[in-house]
Amino acid sequence: MTLRANNIEHFYGSEHILHNISLEIMPKKITAIIGESGSGKTTLLAILSSLLKPTRGTIYYDDILLSNIKNIDLFRKKNIGFVFQFHYLIDYLTLKENIALGALKESDNIEELIKTLGISNLANRYGNEVSGGERQRAAIARALVNSPSFVFADEPTGNLDTKNAIGVFELFRNFKDTSFIVATHDKKIIDYADIIIEMEDGYVKNISSQRT
Amino acid sequence: MITPLKALRKNKFKTALIFFSMVVAISAIFLISAISNGIVGMYSTMLKTDGDIIVTQRGIADTFFSDINYTIKKRIEKISNVKEVNALILGAAPVDNLPIVGIYGVSENRFDSYKLISGIYPKSNEVIMGQKIYKMLNSPKKIVISKKEFNVSGVFKSKIGFEDGGVVMRLDDGSKIFHKSTSIFLVSLKDIESKNTITDINHLNSDIEAKTTDNFIDNYNQFKIIKTSSDVISALAFLMGVLGIVSMMSMVVNDRKVEFGIMRSVGLPSKTIIIKLVAETIIIAIFAYIFALALSYIVLEIIQNTQKFQGYINGEITFSLGALIFFTSVLMAIVGTLLPAIWASRVDPMSLILRGAY
Ligand SMILES: Nc1ncnc2c1ncn2[C@@H]1O[C@H](COP(=O)(O)OP(=O)(O)OP(=O)(O)O)[C@@H](O)[C@H]1O
Ligand SMILES: [Mg+2]
Repeated sequence: MTLRANNIEHFYGSEHILHNISLEIMPKKITAIIGESGSGKTTLLAILSSLLKPTRGTIYYDDILLSNIKNIDLFRKKNIGFVFQFHYLIDYLTLKENIALGALKESDNIEELIKTLGISNLANRYGNEVSGGERQRAAIARALVNSPSFVFADEPTGNLDTKNAIGVFELFRNFKDTSFIVATHDKKIIDYADIIIEMEDGYVKNISSQRT
Repeated sequence: MITPLKALRKNKFKTALIFFSMVVAISAIFLISAISNGIVGMYSTMLKTDGDIIVTQRGIADTFFSDINYTIKKRIEKISNVKEVNALILGAAPVDNLPIVGIYGVSENRFDSYKLISGIYPKSNEVIMGQKIYKMLNSPKKIVISKKEFNVSGVFKSKIGFEDGGVVMRLDDGSKIFHKSTSIFLVSLKDIESKNTITDINHLNSDIEAKTTDNFIDNYNQFKIIKTSSDVISALAFLMGVLGIVSMMSMVVNDRKVEFGIMRSVGLPSKTIIIKLVAETIIIAIFAYIFALALSYIVLEIIQNTQKFQGYINGEITFSLGALIFFTSVLMAIVGTLLPAIWASRVDPMSLILRGAY
């Protein structure tokens, strides 16, 4: 799937936050959204990922207009995964149960995911019984459980030390069929991203391709 | 289904609060219904003993205020379908130091419905006493009813609390105390199906009115008052239960916003979240129901054995009452959870990102 945003404008109340943003997110790439605090990274990510309706403009997933989708829950389940800064797990469920939370019936890759993410021996522990890095890896597994086309991550390494942060970015590289869109301050992303979108004061300042 | 039990265990304190508010509400419904059913049931049983038809004063559909002429008894007995006619005076009066006790003046042919455990049936100026009141008054030889003294000739046992805590005497002795010859007749029939007997009795005298005992009980005003009050109190208890659940569940939902945000972000439909929360409260409701049932049995047992009530208050938890209250409890859980659950199902996953921004 390719994601296209056309002439996105966004206001919080009367405050104009995003200005005329048009861009394309290519499949199977890691896209980083970087920029100063307050530049609109999170807002843009939320709009692209269907969580936030833009004030103006359109979002297309291939040729599907996002605002036309009737069953957004099912669409998210199939096509979109989320990773949040605070790697929110449900704490009365085990890591494995958390990962399986939104799994479609046909998703049978849970065991394999757990293995790839290196949390096999922790699968039956509860969220508050593992480290932050391990929690975040479980959250990433949850986002990937239905092999979605897109995984959106807002500051996924914001709560992690350098070693764990690098581990997360490396993981993203392992899932070659998924497009990762990462909004972050973390400069380390530059070594891992295929495409970098630079935000400044609500404008897209520059889009650059790292490799081809 | 995401294991609701785990969620309940995790939120122990609030689960416990919801549990207790439901126990209180369900127990209240149980007790008030059981007690009102018990009172109505006991009195009905008493009237139905040898009473297919009940005859009262015309226009006075009440056993206490009814006043009819004893001599009509003989004429009713002559009707071919009539097996037996019992004449009763029902009253209440102070007995020794007890302020109010059920007093039954009965025709001699009704004596055999009181099972003696000691002594003999009463002659003039004698009474037999229910074993409950007999014990309460410390096995007296004589008692004073409305300033008249009576010898105790025997003691009987009855499952009906009003009788076990009451005093039975001959009809003419009762007549002297309550200044009437008879309150009601209880008529038993040879062929219960035959409808004509009621018409036949009604034709005998324009001062009396015959009804089937079932019909009489269904329309008995005292019972209606008891039942209506119990229904109103039950409805209020139900409402209190619902409100308790609504307020607790609103807090629970607020505490667990992140959880619902995650569920929405992984694409679980609103319906699933609503069902999950409702399932959680239904589970609490089932445990609360069991607890309330046990509690009600204990309280009823205590009430029955409390001297002060003379056995007149007697709860009865029938299977159908138990089943009805079970469904009421589940309904309470559903109604109380629905609004908070809908609220939970609308938690915007955006809130999970915003936390990061601020
Ligand atoms: N819900 C909101 N209501 C009003 N203003 C908001 C809201 N969310 C964000 N903003 C404002 O919009 C602007 C962009 O916010 P956004 O969170 O998108 O920035 P960001 O680039 O993600 O910043 P950070 O790096 O600190 O996460 C900021 O000025 C912020 O104050
Ligand atoms: Mg942000």
